[in-house]
Amino acid sequence: MVDENVLRDKAKEILSSGEVRRLIGWKRGTYGYEAAPCVITDASQADDLIFDATCVQNPASFITLEEKLPVPRGQQPDTRKIAVMVKGCDSRAVVQHLVEKAYIRDDVVILGIPCRGVIDRRKAEKIFGEAPQPVLAVAEKDGVVIRVNGEEKKVSREEILADKCLRCRYPNPVISDYPLGDEVEKWADDDFSDVSEFEKESPEEKWAFWEEEFSKCIRCYACRNVCPMCYCVECIVTKLKPQWTRRSTDLSENTVYHIQRAWHLAGRCIECMECQRVCPMDIPIMTLNRKLTKDVKELFDYEPGVDAEAQPLLASYNPQDPEEYIM
Amino acid sequence: MSNDFEPNIIGFLCNWCSYAGADLAGTSRTHYLPNVKIIRVMCSGRVNPLFIVNALQQGADGVLISGCHPGDCHYLEGNYFARRRFVLMHKLLEHVGVDPRRVQMSWVSASEGAKFKDVVEKIVSDVKEAGPMDQFRRRQLNW
Amino acid sequence: MINYRPRIGVYICHCGINIAAVIDVKAVVEHASKLPGVVVARDYSYMCSDPGQGMVREDIEKEKLNRVVVASCSPRMHEPTFRNTLKDAGLNPYYLEMANIREQCSWVHEDPAIATEKAKKLVEAAVAKALLLEALEEKEVDVTPACLIIGAGIAGIQAALDIADAGFKVYLVEKNPSVGGHMAQLDKTFPTLDCSACILTPKMVDVANHPNIELMTYSQVESIEGYVGNFKATIRKKARYVDFDKCTGCGICAENCRLAGRIPSEFDEGIGYRSAIYIPFPQAVPAKYTIDPERCLQLTKGKCGKEGPACAAVCDAKAINFEQQDELVEIEIGTIIVATGYDIFDPTRKPEYGYAENPNVMTGLEFERLVSASGPTGGKIIVGRDRKGEGGFEPKKIGFIHCVGSRDKSVGNEYCSRVCCMYLAKQAHLIKDKLPDAEITVFYMDVRAFGKGFEEFYDRVRREGIRYIRGNPSEIYRKGDDHTLIIKVEDTLTGTPMEYEADLVVLGVGLEPRKDVREIINLFKLSQSTDGFFLEAHPKLRPVDTASDGIFLAGCCQGPKDIPDTVAQAKGAASSALIPMASGKVKVEAQISVVNKDECRGCGFCVEVCPYSAIELVEENRQGNIIKVASVNEALCKGCGSCAAACLSGAIQPKSFKDEQILPQIAVLGVKTE
Repeated sequence: MVDENVLRDKAKEILSSGEVRRLIGWKRGTYGYEAAPCVITDASQADDLIFDATCVQNPASFITLEEKLPVPRGQQPDTRKIAVMVKGCDSRAVVQHLVEKAYIRDDVVILGIPCRGVIDRRKAEKIFGEAPQPVLAVAEKDGVVIRVNGEEKKVSREEILADKCLRCRYPNPVISDYPLGDEVEKWADDDFSDVSEFEKESPEEKWAFWEEEFSKCIRCYACRNVCPMCYCVECIVTKLKPQWTRRSTDLSENTVYHIQRAWHLAGRCIECMECQRVCPMDIPIMTLNRKLTKDVKELFDYEPGVDAEAQPLLASYNPQDPEEYIM
Repeated sequence: MSNDFEPNIIGFLCNWCSYAGADLAGTSRTHYLPNVKIIRVMCSGRVNPLFIVNALQQGADGVLISGCHPGDCHYLEGNYFARRRFVLMHKLLEHVGVDPRRVQMSWVSASEGAKFKDVVEKIVSDVKEAGPMDQFRRRQLNW
Repeated sequence: MINYRPRIGVYICHCGINIAAVIDVKAVVEHASKLPGVVVARDYSYMCSDPGQGMVREDIEKEKLNRVVVASCSPRMHEPTFRNTLKDAGLNPYYLEMANIREQCSWVHEDPAIATEKAKKLVEAAVAKALLLEALEEKEVDVTPACLIIGAGIAGIQAALDIADAGFKVYLVEKNPSVGGHMAQLDKTFPTLDCSACILTPKMVDVANHPNIELMTYSQVESIEGYVGNFKATIRKKARYVDFDKCTGCGICAENCRLAGRIPSEFDEGIGYRSAIYIPFPQAVPAKYTIDPERCLQLTKGKCGKEGPACAAVCDAKAINFEQQDELVEIEIGTIIVATGYDIFDPTRKPEYGYAENPNVMTGLEFERLVSASGPTGGKIIVGRDRKGEGGFEPKKIGFIHCVGSRDKSVGNEYCSRVCCMYLAKQAHLIKDKLPDAEITVFYMDVRAFGKGFEEFYDRVRREGIRYIRGNPSEIYRKGDDHTLIIKVEDTLTGTPMEYEADLVVLGVGLEPRKDVREIINLFKLSQSTDGFFLEAHPKLRPVDTASDGIFLAGCCQGPKDIPDTVAQAKGAASSALIPMASGKVKVEAQISVVNKDECRGCGFCVEVCPYSAIELVEENRQGNIIKVASVNEALCKGCGSCAAACLSGAIQPKSFKDEQILPQIAVLGVKTE
C-alpha cells in the first residue's frame, strides 16, 4: 500500500519536471463508494490525488482516449509523455497497449501502486445502503476499513471487495517506472471454477441464461467505452458501411453485439472488469470474457497483458495449435 | 426434431484447396447434399470469425469453414491463423449456448473431392440433429 | 466509387446439357430478372463460346451494363475468360461475379427442383455481391528474363535447352554430381530399342556447353521468395572437395582411393562399386570428380592412411581441397520449372517377394544396369557376382513380375505407373537376345500397351517365345541351398495354382513421388494430388501449371510417364515459362488489400499476420499529429485477406473480398426459401 503523500510528491515532481503533459489518477468523488478518475496537468493539482480501496476505475482506459485535436498550422503537437497511476490489474492494460502498439514505452510514465483490493459498489450498497457523502475505504490484510456516512466499520474482504480482487493474481503492477509503496503479498488465485461450472450446463440452459441477460441490454455501449482495450477510431459495432449489427435493441442484435464485443477481446482482455462494473443493467459481461481468458490460457498457454514483448495472440500461431473440432 | 428439417448451411471455402476440392467433387459427379451453399474466399485466413456470427444471425442453421491442410496453405500460413480464430470462436459460441455442432471447420485439399462430400454429409446430419437455429435469428423487416 | 446506378446483366449458361439437364435454366433467369439492379437476364447454351461472350459484349453496349454476373462453371475455370469479355467491351474486368452452378450444383445434385432452388440462391448471392463490386486497376511489373529449373533429368534438360535456345538465361540445378537423371541409367528404350545413352548424352553435353545455361550440379535450392516475374532463389552449391575449375576428370584419384571398388554405386543401383572420390558414370556431365563426404576417410575420420589421402597426392592438377565449404549463391529469376522426377518403389515393402534376402531377386532398374553395356558386367547377364567381380552364374529361368508397388492399395499406390509393362517387355526381349535358350516367363495383371508402337512391340516380344502368365505371384522364396527360387502364383485365366522355378526374378517396380517431396512442397508451396505427385492447376487444360503463378511442372514429378511424354511435357513447361519472359511483363494481383487510413489504429496485427511482409506501419500526419498506420506494398500483396480477419476495426480489406461485399452474400444465403 502507498502513503498518499508519497504519491502526491511523486506526481508533483513529475509534473513540475515538464516531462509529462498529463497525469491520470484518482481523486475523491462527490458521493458514493467510488473515487473519481481525474486528469491533472499542473503540479498544483497534485494534492487532489488519492489512492484507497475506492479507486476502482482503470486509469489506463484514458490513455488511448485522449482526443488528438487538429494542430494549428505552424505549431507542433505536444508529444510529451502521459503519466498514469496504475494498480496491478490496470498495469496489465498498459502492457497490452504496448503489445498492440497503441503507444510506445517512452510515451508513458507509469506510477505503480500495489493494491490490496478495491470495493464493489453493489456489494457495499447492499450492506450500507446509499452513501450521499464520499466514502473512504482502506483495504487491509484481514478486511476493509470503511467509513460510510460518518461511521467507520470493518468488514471482511469477501463481503465487500470486487470479485476480480478475490481472485487477483497481480496485486502488484507488472510494469512500472516508479513503484510507490511496498509490494503486497498475493492473497488469492483464480481457478476459473465459475466458468467451469457454467460450461457444464447444456446448450439450452446456457442459452436460457444468456437470453435473459442479453434481453436486458439497452445498448448504451458503456461496456465498450470503458474498456481499456476498445479504442478503435471507428468501432465496427456502430459502423454503417458495412453494418455488422443493427442499432435496434432486440435479442438478435444484442446477442450479436455481445459476441462481437467478447470476440474482439479474445486474447486481449486483461480482466479489469470495468465492463461489468459500469453496466447499468447488471449483465454479467465478464462471464464471456473469462470464458475466453480461460480457453486462451488452456489452449494456447497465453496470457495477455503480462509481457510487453509478447506477440498478440490472434496475430500469431503455433503449427502445433489444437486441432479440436477440425474435420 | 422432425426429419424433414432441411438445414441451411453457409460454407466459406478457400479458393485454392477446398473450393477446388468442391469443384473436383463436381467434375467427379460425386453426389452430395444440397444444404451447404458456398461463399468463395481466397484463403480460410480471410474468414473473419464474425462472419460465422453474422451467418447464424441472418438465418443460417450452420456454418462450415474449410481450408487447406496445415502446412499446405497457398498463402503459406493463413490457415494456421484461421484455426486459432475458429477454435476460440467455436468455444465462445458454445458458451453462449449455440449448439457446437452448428459451426465446423475442415481441411479439404484440392484433390479431396470425396472428403468434401463426407464433410458436407457430416455437418448436414449434425445440424439436422441440432435443429433449426432460431436463438438469435434476425427479424426480417419488410417495409 | 459508384458513379452510376448498378445495371447488372445476368447470364445463365446451359453448358450444353451439363447444367440444363438438372437445373431449370429458364426459372433461374426468371428469378434473376427480378433481383435488384438487374436489367437483363438471359441464358445461352455455351456462355464461354464466342456467340455467348458476344451476347455479353452487346448487352454491355446496348443496355449500358456496368456489372456482369455469369452463372456457369467454376470461376476457377472461366473467370479469366469472362474478365476478358468485359475488358473487350470496355468495362473494368473486376465488375464480374460468377455463380458456380455446374461443379457445385448441377453436377452434384440430382433432384432438379432442389438444384434449381440452389442455383437461384447462388445467382442471387452473386448479384448481391456484384452490386458492390469495384473497378480495380491491373498493374504490370517487369519480368526477370531468367528461368530456374530444378532437376536435370531428361525433363529438366529438355526444358533448359528449349528456353536457352529461345534466348533466355537458364539456371539448371541438379542435386546429384551429374545431370542425366534416371534416363542415363537405362540401357535401351522401349519400344524402339534405341540406346538410351546415345540419345541422352548429346543433350547432356549441350546443357553444359550452352552459353545461356548456367549448370549447377551437386546443388540444392535453399529458399525461394518473391512472385512471378521476380523470384529470388538461394542455391546451396555443396562442397565437392574438388576444385571444379582445376579438375580435368582424368580419374587417377579414383583409382588410387583407398576405398576404390568398396562403395556401392548409386548409379549402378548397388550392383557396381565406386570409390569415395567419384564420378557417377563415365559419361557424366560435368566430368568433374566429387568426394563423398559420408564415406571419405579423410572427411569422416580426419585421417586417410599413414601417408594422407592418396587422391590428393596423385592429382597433378592439385584440384583436391578438403577445406572446401558449401557456397550459397543468390539468383534472380522470372519463372521456375520443377522437374524433380521420381523414386522407384522400394520392394522391401512387399516382403513376400523376398527382395531383401535373395540377390537374384532384383528391381527393373538394377536389371537395366546389369544388361547395360556400360554396366558393371559389361552387359553380360551374370547374377550374384561379388564385389571383386568374381563368381556369379548365368540365369537359365527368368521370371518378370508386373505391378510391384503399382495398382496396389496395400502399399498405398492405387495408380498405374505406366512404364512397367513396357520396360519389362523390353527387358524380356533383351534377355532373349543375349541368352536365346533362357526360359522367360512374365507374370502380369494386365498388359497396358497404350502408346505409339507399344502393342506392336508387345506382340513381337510374345512371338519371340516369352510366356505371359496372367497372375500376381503371392510369394517368392528360395528352394533349398542353391539359388533356385520358387514363384507361387495362380494362373487366373485357368484358375490353376502353380509353382514356377526361376534363378532370376526381375520385379517391375513402379514409380513413386520422391522421398524428399515434402521439402519441395514447402519450398515452392505446391500441392499434391491423392497419389502424392504434384498437382497441376487443371488436369486437362493446365497440365504443366501449378496453383502458384510462374511455377511449372515437367516430367514424373507430376505423375508417372515414359520418356516421350516427359519430353513433351518438358517442352510444354518450357513454352509456358517462356510466355511471361517473352512478353517481358506480368500482371500483378489486382485483388490486393487496401487500408482505410482514417480507421486504422496502427496496432500492427495485419503486419504480424501478413505472410509476405507486404504490410508495414508508416507515419501518417493526421491533422498535425503524427500517428502510425498500416500501408500495403502493392507488388508484394497477394490478396489472401488474412489481414482483414485480424483487423479489429475493419480498416484493412482485400479488394473484391471486402466485408461489405461478403456480408450481403451471407445475408442472401442465410434467408431460407420456404
